[in-house]
Amino acid sequence: MEKVQFTDLCRKLSTRGGHALSKAILPVVEGHLAQNRKYKLPVIWIETSDSGDNNIAFMNTTYPYLGRVFTEMIDLLYSNTFMAAQGQDALIILEQAAALYRGMFTLVVEGAVPTRDGGLYTVIARTATRAITALEAVTWLGSLAKHIVAVGTCASFGGPSAARPNLTGSVGVRDVLNREIINVSGCPVNPDWFVGTLAHLLMYGRPELDDLGRPTLFYGFTVHRHCQRRSYFDREDFAEKLGDIECMFSLGCMGPRTGADCPYRQWINYVNWPVRANTPCIGCTNEDFPDGSTPFFKPMPEKNRPAGSQPAMPGPKGDAQ
Amino acid sequence: MSHQSYLFSPVTRLSGLMSVEVLVEERRIVEANASSTMFRGFEWIMGDRQAADAVYMTQRVCGICSLAHGATASYLLDELYDNELTENAQILRNIMYAADFLQNHIRHFYLFSLPDFVVMPDRPPFHGQNLMDARLNPEDNRRLAGNYFEAVKFAQRSHEILALFGGKAPHQHSFVHGGVSVAPTADKINRAQALIHDIGEFVKGTLIPDTELISRVYGDYYRIGIAPARYLSFGLFKFGSKNERILWRNGVLADGRLTLPQTERIHEDISHAWFETAGSQEPQQKELKPNPSKPGAYTWIKSVRYAGLPFQVGPLARMIINGRYSGGSSTMDRICARSLETLLLTELVQEWLKKLTPGPPPIRQKNRAIKTEVTATTDAMRGALLHSARIVDDKVVWYNIITPTVWNFSPKDAHGQRGPAENALVGTEIPTSDLLFTILGRIIRSFDPCMPCAAHVLDCRGNVEAKMVL
Repeated sequence: MEKVQFTDLCRKLSTRGGHALSKAILPVVEGHLAQNRKYKLPVIWIETSDSGDNNIAFMNTTYPYLGRVFTEMIDLLYSNTFMAAQGQDALIILEQAAALYRGMFTLVVEGAVPTRDGGLYTVIARTATRAITALEAVTWLGSLAKHIVAVGTCASFGGPSAARPNLTGSVGVRDVLNREIINVSGCPVNPDWFVGTLAHLLMYGRPELDDLGRPTLFYGFTVHRHCQRRSYFDREDFAEKLGDIECMFSLGCMGPRTGADCPYRQWINYVNWPVRANTPCIGCTNEDFPDGSTPFFKPMPEKNRPAGSQPAMPGPKGDAQ
Repeated sequence: MSHQSYLFSPVTRLSGLMSVEVLVEERRIVEANASSTMFRGFEWIMGDRQAADAVYMTQRVCGICSLAHGATASYLLDELYDNELTENAQILRNIMYAADFLQNHIRHFYLFSLPDFVVMPDRPPFHGQNLMDARLNPEDNRRLAGNYFEAVKFAQRSHEILALFGGKAPHQHSFVHGGVSVAPTADKINRAQALIHDIGEFVKGTLIPDTELISRVYGDYYRIGIAPARYLSFGLFKFGSKNERILWRNGVLADGRLTLPQTERIHEDISHAWFETAGSQEPQQKELKPNPSKPGAYTWIKSVRYAGLPFQVGPLARMIINGRYSGGSSTMDRICARSLETLLLTELVQEWLKKLTPGPPPIRQKNRAIKTEVTATTDAMRGALLHSARIVDDKVVWYNIITPTVWNFSPKDAHGQRGPAENALVGTEIPTSDLLFTILGRIIRSFDPCMPCAAHVLDCRGNVEAKMVL
């Protein structure tokens, strides 16, 4: 309704009795609110056992920059990294948000979850009487959330936090919760993959996921398939040393069995990515990163692999099984 | 009599997880226990891996200062393989290193520290801010709160410089042993110059005036959070074919005497850390083992000491040791020194970009080790960083890391000596209890704590061996 119509309506009905004015304008106001009230994704973000690289990666988002993510996309109700509240005030906010937005909030977990010794290797906060472990927080909040997003490879699959010998018994969120987890892996995550996943949840609901629970939108094809240096691979023209312009397969590139769109998307305002920097892709989005990618600079057939398994080699399409 | 214990947990707006417990008597903090509540065990993870993997693996120790670990591991491997670095490689490495410092310092000031002094808009993630003692006038407050979101863009642009040459950030790829694998071409140099110009304008025109304003309005914080004036730095920005020259000097400053750091004088103590020794037959790393239920322990950080004493590390230590800052050792001194360093870094990057010569990737990796034990030291964003390793046949036998946060957030040692941050808290006046979190938060964040870094440290031998000399 235009402003002129609205004032006309108010003027005409202002002297009538029987709540005529209220009856007339309430639906108008409600309609306006429904149309214009921004729906934002309520998010609770728990940092567990990680290096903090994923929240740094998140801050590197461009268009939308962080400010717009906070004003237009998400209500970040709890985050150890970003929230202004501190101490017990923060913990009270966490409890209130979990209750108020029960069944509605998206839980973001950044980091692996240690399970050995009751999970005491990562404590997200202490109260006067006890320690709240990452294990407890993820279990508790995981039962209340609408969606769960594991950001980074540690949260998705264990990642570097669970690398051998894994003293802390760390695992990905999927091994703690018996429900669907949206894994947005990467070490760190590319901000587009994470902000893009949040955008999908906000605008279109749950994204399509691959076998590892990752949005196919970002992880559906291998690095190898889209690599700018694919023609070198096909001609078996391999790099001899870091800094060369040829295919990096000879120097340990994991592209053939790594799902990610790095060659197209690139990093930090889309300026570069590891192969373009004349180094191998180290497969940081993979389920077995980092142990399955090491030694980083040895070709795939010479990398560590579980006893008895065959060395992974690129197949007919160039993608390894 | 009127002892009261307060728990400050979680300490938000920092990298990682932390809790602090203080004892208050007659409105004054009489004891403080700073507790890092996460452990990952990276030194164990490094065991039995290929030496060359150290650059990418150790970056995963810390997301906010990842290049510092990659750089230190590269210096370590340079020495192991006896690499010869070109001048261009060193300039490019230092540009990348400084770019990572810039993103860290800008993010620390605005995203972590600013909400300690500025009332943020009452919406997530700033809801329930509960800032007591907010002193800026409404106009200044509005401007500084707005600068929070501006700062995000310049921190991102700092990482754009790093990614331009390094492939990605955090956890860049090109700064490895032997040099840098990316060609510094005219287009990249030009783009980096445009980026650093904008970052420089922001630092000069916004971050510095904002620091000055906060230091003026909250001037009493020059007398609050004072740590003993003992400073240590391993120096910053290496040059020379063997990494032998350092631009910002290293030093140990105590009792007004400045000496060169000797790594054999560094030792670690586990009295109040959740570690115990398990068997004594193995002289190396495996001797220590984590025990989260150890009685009397309260943190995953060990106590690190130089000549038996705790030392403060970080921008303030670097600036004082290099004669660029003449203030004290308070909360506000630490904040000001970091901002001052940020300004100096923007100037250095501009200068280095002019010196960089366009050409092929400045990298020459040798692959035959000339020794088996190596130590590399440099400063990271938060202060002194040490990597040392025993490497046999290209395999890591043990790998030790001593991070800056371990220096600053050391718990009490066997002699009851507190670390610098705990010391800075003790003696602080808490006029009313509703001010407690605000005051604690300001003091603690001035050290820019980073728990993921602290979480991994595990030297395990109780003593860094005498062989490690600079």
